[in-house]
Amino acid sequence: GMLTPNGKEYTQKIPREELTHLILRLLQAWKEPLSHFNHHIEHHRELPDDSLSKAKQISNMVPELKTGVEKVTEKARSMGIIIDSLNGTASSEAAGLPISNEANMMSDSDFIHCFRRDSNKVQSYLKILKCRIMPENSC
Amino acid sequence: MKQKLTSSVQIILLLALTAVGLMGQSYPGKPKIIRCHSLEKETFSCWWKPGSDGGLPTNYTLFYSKDSEEKIYECPDYKTSGPNSCYFDKNHTNPWTTYNITVMATNEIGSNSSDPQYVDVTSIVQPDAPVNLTLEIKTSASITNLWAKWSPPPIADVRSNSHVYNYELRLKTEGMEEWETISVGVQTQYKVIRVQRGVKYVVQVRCMLDLGKWSEWSSERRIQIPKGQSPPEKPTIIKCRSPEKETFTCWWKPASDGGYPITHTLLYSKEGEEQVYECPDYRTAGPNSCYFDRKHTSFWTIYNITVKATNEMGSNVSDPHYVDVTYIVQPDPPVNISLELKKSVNRKPYLILTWSPPPLADVRSGWLTLEYELRLKLQEGEEWETVFVGQQTQYKMFSLNTGKTYIIQIHCKPDHHGSWSEWSPEKYIQIPTEYRVKDMVVWIVVGVLSSFICLIMSWIMILKGYRMVAFILPPVPGPKITGIDKHLLQRGKSEELLSALGCHGFPPTSDCEELLVEYLEVEDSEEQQLMPSRDHGHASKNIKMIPKETDSDSGRGSCDSPSLLSEKCKGSRARTLPSTLQTQGVRNVQENKGGKGSCEILCLTSEHRIIPVNNENPRSSTWPPAQLPNNQHPMFAYHSTVDAHTITLSATNMNIAPVLVGNEENHQPQYPITETVHDNLENRGEMENFHSKTDQTTVQVKQNRPNDQSPFLNPRLMDYVEVHKVRQDVDPAVLLKCKENSGQNEKYTVPGTSKEYTKVSTVVDHNILVLMPDAHNQQASVPQEPAVETPQNVQQSEAETDMSYIATAPSEMNREDNGSDYMDPSSFMPPFK
Repeated sequence: GMLTPNGKEYTQKIPREELTHLILRLLQAWKEPLSHFNHHIEHHRELPDDSLSKAKQISNMVPELKTGVEKVTEKARSMGIIIDSLNGTASSEAAGLPISNEANMMSDSDFIHCFRRDSNKVQSYLKILKCRIMPENSC
Repeated sequence: MKQKLTSSVQIILLLALTAVGLMGQSYPGKPKIIRCHSLEKETFSCWWKPGSDGGLPTNYTLFYSKDSEEKIYECPDYKTSGPNSCYFDKNHTNPWTTYNITVMATNEIGSNSSDPQYVDVTSIVQPDAPVNLTLEIKTSASITNLWAKWSPPPIADVRSNSHVYNYELRLKTEGMEEWETISVGVQTQYKVIRVQRGVKYVVQVRCMLDLGKWSEWSSERRIQIPKGQSPPEKPTIIKCRSPEKETFTCWWKPASDGGYPITHTLLYSKEGEEQVYECPDYRTAGPNSCYFDRKHTSFWTIYNITVKATNEMGSNVSDPHYVDVTYIVQPDPPVNISLELKKSVNRKPYLILTWSPPPLADVRSGWLTLEYELRLKLQEGEEWETVFVGQQTQYKMFSLNTGKTYIIQIHCKPDHHGSWSEWSPEKYIQIPTEYRVKDMVVWIVVGVLSSFICLIMSWIMILKGYRMVAFILPPVPGPKITGIDKHLLQRGKSEELLSALGCHGFPPTSDCEELLVEYLEVEDSEEQQLMPSRDHGHASKNIKMIPKETDSDSGRGSCDSPSLLSEKCKGSRARTLPSTLQTQGVRNVQENKGGKGSCEILCLTSEHRIIPVNNENPRSSTWPPAQLPNNQHPMFAYHSTVDAHTITLSATNMNIAPVLVGNEENHQPQYPITETVHDNLENRGEMENFHSKTDQTTVQVKQNRPNDQSPFLNPRLMDYVEVHKVRQDVDPAVLLKCKENSGQNEKYTVPGTSKEYTKVSTVVDHNILVLMPDAHNQQASVPQEPAVETPQNVQQSEAETDMSYIATAPSEMNREDNGSDYMDPSSFMPPFK
């Protein structure tokens, strides 16, 4: 899996660019598994419709979020806040998530649990990044 | 007999003995063998108890014999076993023989031996009790056992260890009576099973040889069995919390005490790892807690935490608790809550509440984002009102009740995945009451002004009350006859006045009495025509009055005065008509009064009868009715009660002229009531019919006239004749037209001829002049009222003024004075003589 900082200090130590890349990579990594998951649960009759629609909605949010972060990064890069020293393209590793097309190694609840955790990671990283880039914004 | 003998012998013996005893010496008492026993079957001892020694040293010797042998042996050893004992050692002990033992006590006097004692050694074997009894509690596997250990009784002869004792143990719980006896055997220890916990036990032990008796019980030993001897119960983990998303703490609930002190250990393992760690810090967060500092806190990993409780009896492990630190964040309450009162644009006050996040939370780096919520209520209120504020650290509050106290509390939580903190301590706010200075000032000003106005109004009312009422209800204005000199009136000399008036020889002398006076009454039917020019109110009353009178009168026609009057009277003339205003008639009369002796218009006495009317204060005054002689009183109720003007008599105050003038000027419906009148009249002392109300009320002179209209209304007397002409020059007389003799009036005896009237006999009712024809001109027996009467009548009633009009208007005479309605009575009356 991906190595992600596990605490505030680690997160703050990482340079901003690296953090940005990390976020983007995370978001990228979840794209495909989410779509798989959506297809998977659509066939589940026992789930209520609310859950299905919610899952779909969330799944759609992730790519949008990634796009948004990319845009922000572009802006920051253009403003000189971020010095891009790394390759910006997100790797298609899809690392850290044992999702394969053949079989679901993970149960649904585990999957959701992992997703929840990772989304929380992304949120925390983004917040720290925000306060590092623009500290005047309610930080 | 025998008994008596033996008893007597015994008594004698006793006496002898006591005698001997008193003497102090006798042979010793009989010893007694107490006991013989053997400890171990190989030796034995006997003890005896000595009897009385008889006062002398006594020796004791023990003799024994074996079985049935005759030989008597003496005790081999007196010392070993102590005093009064005999110890038979091994050599002398034969367990299978029976000893016959006696003890003899010997002293100087004599000796005494005990009873023989047959001793079978085997039967007297009794060991001592075991010694060193100890008790011990041993618990194993939650079973508590009581161990008892002891030692066999000590033997003097150590070498013979071959004694085998048989032991017996007995125990009981303290407080019980019954012993539980347990056969132990030959061992010197015993394990007592089934021991109750928390109970005190008492243990004893005894022993026995293979033959003989049981020894005595050993001394008691006691022991307390402890309670609760078990491993602890399962502890439970209560909660784990992180206050700032960087460290966390877990608390557990300890297991129940199993009687032994318990220690707890917290063990954890991380997700994905096998290794189990122990809590790094048990102290920081207090008892029964474990504090994970920053180094030991990892996010986004699940901790598997358990707590183990251990005591001497065993241990127990709690259920595992899975924790992910990101989801267990519960911050501290916000701090630094402060309030500020500010004014908004439109002068409305509002409060700004500000606070800061808890000190530990790292909001600045964005690691932890907090959301706030506050609640407030009135101090005396019951329900809280909760407001979600969001992530800002300030809040504006509008529309608060001024003057009241509010209680405010704030708490916060992480924006995602966490729980609400505790409420901050209560903050009390007092909203200041707003004194709107503007409002107060306005109200004060309004109040002051209104009170001021009220004061003024009331003052005006008080002072000018009369005027107000008069303004609202105007009285009938008085006559506007002028012509009398004010000063003349004021001077108060009636003769001058009368002379000014042109009345000579007034008051009429007694000549008049002789004359038959034909009464002529001039009709004042002009009233109806002239009413519109006057106050209607008053005139209406006049009108009312008139019809009565006119009804009685049938002498209307060509001689009606209205026609004449209409010709003659104009404008101001009309005022002189008695029909119109009574005051004018008064004035007329008054004018006539003054200085004209020949005229008898006024039935007033001269000097003191002139009625002043107060000019300054026009008030209501009532006309007093002209009081005519009672017997011949043509009553005309012309006057109206309302606007009757009082003209009171006063000697001092002769203001006739001003009255006449003044009234016209003032034209007040109400004439001043003279307080002076009141005084003057009082001075007179003759106030028969004078009712005066001072100040604002009208002095209403009692008017006889209206009250007794009927008797005096003599239709016969009332006859209206039109004035033909007034002759002024030579013989002033009023020529009246002929009047149709309706025949009703007897007094008119001269039909067709015009009559000359030169004298006024009386004035009736303010507007009727009763004329007297001249005596030498006529021979008509016109009944004439003696003029004398009138003054008398007038004299009688001071208060009442008789004013009557001359209905006729001697216009020719008074044309000169156009401005004033002045009638010169002298023009139509010859002077009286």
